[in-house]
Amino acid sequence: MLIIRRLAAVSAGLLAAAVLASAPASAQKPGGTLVQITQPEPPNLAPYISTSGPIGQVTAKVFDGLLEYGFDLKPVPSLAESFEVTPDGKTITFKLRQNAKFHDGKPFTSADVRFTFMDVLKKVHPRGIATFRELTAVETPDPYTAIFKLEKAAPYMLMAFSGYESPVLPQHVYGSGDIKTHANANIPVGTGPFRFVEWRRGEFVRLDKNKDYWRAGLPYLDRIVVRFIGDSSTRTAALEKGEAHVAGFGAIPYNDVKKLAALPSVEVTTKGYEMVSPIVELLLNTKHAPLDNQKVRQALAYAIDRQFVIDNVWFGYGKPAAGPISSNFAPSGMFEAGKDYNAADRVARANALLDEAGFPKKADGFRFELVHDLTPYGEEWQRFGEAVQQQLAQVGVKVTLRYEDVAKWLKRVYTDYDYDISSNFLYNLADPVLGVHRSFHSDRIRPGTVFVNGARWSSPETDKIMDQATVEPDPAKRGALYRELIKQTSEASPVIYVLELQFPTLVNKQFKNVITSPLGIYGNYATAYRE
Amino acid sequence: MRGTALLFYILRRLLQTVPVVLGVVVLNFLLLQLAPGDLATVLAGEAGGAPKEYIDLLRQRFGQDQPVIVQLYRYMAGLLTLDLGYSFRQSAPVLQLLLDRLWPTLLLMGTTFLLSLGFGVTMGLLAALWVRTWKDHIVSVVAIIFYATPLFWVGLMLILLFSIKLGWFPTSGMEDVVAFNEGWDRVVDIAHHLVLPSITLSLFYLALYARLMRASMLEQRGLDYVTTARAKGLSERQITIRHVLRNALLPVVTMAGVQVGSLLGGSVIVESVFAWPGLGQLAYQSLFARDFNLLLGIFFLSSCLVVIVNLIVDVVYVLLDPRIRIG
Amino acid sequence: MMKSFSQRFLHNPLVIVGLSWLTLVLLVAVLADVLAPANPFAIVGKPFLPPAGDFLLGTDSLGRDVLGGLIHGARTTLLIAVLSTLAAVAFGALVGAVAGYYGRWIDDVLMRLTEFFQTIPSFLFALVLIAILSPSAMNLVIAIATVSWPPIARVVRGEVLSVKSREFVRAAIVAGQRDSAILISQVLPNTLSPLIVTGSLLVATAILVESALSFLGLGAPNQMSWGFMIGAGRSFMREAWWLVTVPGIVILLTVLSINLVGEGLNDALNPRLADA
Repeated sequence: MLIIRRLAAVSAGLLAAAVLASAPASAQKPGGTLVQITQPEPPNLAPYISTSGPIGQVTAKVFDGLLEYGFDLKPVPSLAESFEVTPDGKTITFKLRQNAKFHDGKPFTSADVRFTFMDVLKKVHPRGIATFRELTAVETPDPYTAIFKLEKAAPYMLMAFSGYESPVLPQHVYGSGDIKTHANANIPVGTGPFRFVEWRRGEFVRLDKNKDYWRAGLPYLDRIVVRFIGDSSTRTAALEKGEAHVAGFGAIPYNDVKKLAALPSVEVTTKGYEMVSPIVELLLNTKHAPLDNQKVRQALAYAIDRQFVIDNVWFGYGKPAAGPISSNFAPSGMFEAGKDYNAADRVARANALLDEAGFPKKADGFRFELVHDLTPYGEEWQRFGEAVQQQLAQVGVKVTLRYEDVAKWLKRVYTDYDYDISSNFLYNLADPVLGVHRSFHSDRIRPGTVFVNGARWSSPETDKIMDQATVEPDPAKRGALYRELIKQTSEASPVIYVLELQFPTLVNKQFKNVITSPLGIYGNYATAYRE
Repeated sequence: MRGTALLFYILRRLLQTVPVVLGVVVLNFLLLQLAPGDLATVLAGEAGGAPKEYIDLLRQRFGQDQPVIVQLYRYMAGLLTLDLGYSFRQSAPVLQLLLDRLWPTLLLMGTTFLLSLGFGVTMGLLAALWVRTWKDHIVSVVAIIFYATPLFWVGLMLILLFSIKLGWFPTSGMEDVVAFNEGWDRVVDIAHHLVLPSITLSLFYLALYARLMRASMLEQRGLDYVTTARAKGLSERQITIRHVLRNALLPVVTMAGVQVGSLLGGSVIVESVFAWPGLGQLAYQSLFARDFNLLLGIFFLSSCLVVIVNLIVDVVYVLLDPRIRIG
Repeated sequence: MMKSFSQRFLHNPLVIVGLSWLTLVLLVAVLADVLAPANPFAIVGKPFLPPAGDFLLGTDSLGRDVLGGLIHGARTTLLIAVLSTLAAVAFGALVGAVAGYYGRWIDDVLMRLTEFFQTIPSFLFALVLIAILSPSAMNLVIAIATVSWPPIARVVRGEVLSVKSREFVRAAIVAGQRDSAILISQVLPNTLSPLIVTGSLLVATAILVESALSFLGLGAPNQMSWGFMIGAGRSFMREAWWLVTVPGIVILLTVLSINLVGEGLNDALNPRLADA
């Protein structure tokens, strides 16, 4: 894992990040309009105040970050040419690029960095409030140096400097007026390869080439148009006809992906989600009988036929999940397969556990009843709920489905805890501290805060492991801690891990170099070109 | 003076509609308050989770920390000055969002209105002239089949046939976003995109008007004045065109006015199938995002639209039928 | 010499066709558990089996029997449509009768209310109601009924106005009968025929509304209905045509039949029109 390696190197002395020269190949010819489908339409174009997925798919082309990341999750330079971290991990010094300009022609300086992180991201960015909690000041000794001062070491922070996660804003634009209702919320101004031209609501956002981009010769494309199409079969049709060229994050129904993949004009990749790592899970309300019983929770975990769900609901775009941490973290030693809930005799085991737990089958064949609150994020979740309903029926658990809209569902699950089972998919994000701790740590049982510990799982043992891992500098020890976490949580089973979702991204073959980073379509497309 | 009387009539009707429109807004305002979950949670949900302090910050910003009655008062006070509030989800004033979406919806509805009324009346007229012949049966059966087919199904089938198989029309959207046409080219392009959605939305109403027109024609032909006209020796053709047609149109026109509200509802589905950037889609999205300022704005605007169209229909009615007294 | 109602009604071949189909659907709905004993949500075979194989109408994306779904769906769909129509008719008739019978300010108020509900775009309003109440069979009935009563109220009011002035009603008033008794025993029976016609067409509309709501993903999640089947099958329209086509045709035929019967009723009840 990057942070760990980085910190290990840091402990040997000061580290200077390599300056990767971005060398554009010269064979690509400039020109062309790329049409991307984003679903749903973003609510606004203010990525500093909302991390709603669709926003980033548009604005990551307009805003640069201090850093970008390679597929190995190592940082590469962007607006920062290099950075250094002191051995105590409490100071990060960024050397900034000197030739970068905002789209309005004004130069980019360290004042913009200070403004972005201290006045905006730390205060109003939904994730930034947590990510930059330890950040106390950004010092700007000269226009091209920004020094981040931290209260405590926070190794995970280094994963959060991409243009998607932490867009760098021009102070002269966003610095005046209330940032929360800023006039430029829908007229983004950044330093990125494409500048914002127009947003026709319900139709598209148009971004044109930034001719003064600081990376000479880039971008190749003249224009990016991001289209919004409400109906899923219409989205498929647009891609099939070549009216649109790129789509990801489940915008195309999984069954249609296979069909489109067979076309000579379309390429499908599952790369570009390495900093996302979504896991489909069933959330169990561990404070509700009978789900407060560990044997019952394990039995339910055994009862789920993961392969059936992968094959028939997600049409092959997933693999069975074994625990709270995605196998994408295997290279950093943080991954381990948890308890094997996919054992061949899993149904028999589930039945045995339920008998042991004191819930024998009654005359009607059922042991007890549960309500499953479906995730209101699209029809695959409805199918998933129906499949789970049938699978649990096989072990004598009667499930009723409840389908409410997003607002009601969030309130029920994360505020009122008035549910038995719910389904969801949570992003592991770039580091377990950011994406995994929220599901289990007892200090994340916070009524009213969504996508945290809705299972209300609370155990001093797992809390301790996570607290240690947050500040543990040694990658090997950190890996061992997370493997232990996986073991303990999969045994206790407050959440049933079903599958690691592998979102397919579809790209029209006319276009090359579109998916070039672990952020996929959250990337900036600077080097994308049309053949 | 008939002209002044008409003017007074219009003014009086407009005044009468004010409470209706305001009532619609108040009712929906209160209804929406009953909905559990709020915009702040949805925004946090869209963001993939957010700390508590962020959600509290949002609520405060939206004025949701105030009692309902205060919120209602503020909203209504704003409404009276045509200030429809701010959509916090879309980070834009509601009025601006609505106006952006208004004209695609008007375009789609207007085209549908004309298509369905024009073809519907013609079909009904022909069926009535051919009454009880095989031609009448065919027209009637076609109309009733159109009437019975779910809208979204027609839309999907048309896309499948005319866009994907034949490639005659674009699958979706209102214009070609790669070309960015200007001037006349843009008009042609939009018209090209308009074909499938307006046909889809038209079929149902076309069937409705055709059936109504036929029934209305037949009813009129049985009335006394037609018999009188026949006795006077007028030809069937003259009778039909001079007397029957005009009177038979009245219920159709009324129905067309009544249907405007439902047309807006139908456009939710058609706009969703064809990615048409109108109010219907906006309403659907704002409902599920709990973006109440925006949704109330849509209800306000669409009620105004319905009321205005109804008024126009009534005026047309008066003009078609001089016997109706106004005042 | 006028033919009797049933003669006129049953003489129409289209009515016979419609009635036969409706009878079939009704029988299937009643006998659903006998005809298809399995739970319609049960996964019984491989997904996407085409029709005319092991399963007469094939299977859906999870391997559920489409025929079983149609059979159980008939029950849910009809139940939702009929119940919502009954509710709309009951409420609409009450409003219309009271408004028409009492007249004056009561009429004014009630008609304003009706107008008010006709001003709100009905499908949008149904969406709002479902979003607030959350989708279930009961709530679908409530939402559909709430948006469909105004036309009934108007029809009944019009009829009541014309019946009110007739002699038998006047006689009843003079005889000192209570208002409610007069309304129920004298006035309402005379408004029955337009009520039946409008009501029958409302059933058809209710089926269409239910299917449209399901298409948008707002159908009842625990009851198999035709709209649900279309909603669940729409993504597979091109590789598994039967998933959308079959329930689509069933909806079409049913709505069509209801309309044919409704028109037949209309013609039979108003012979003047039919013989014109």
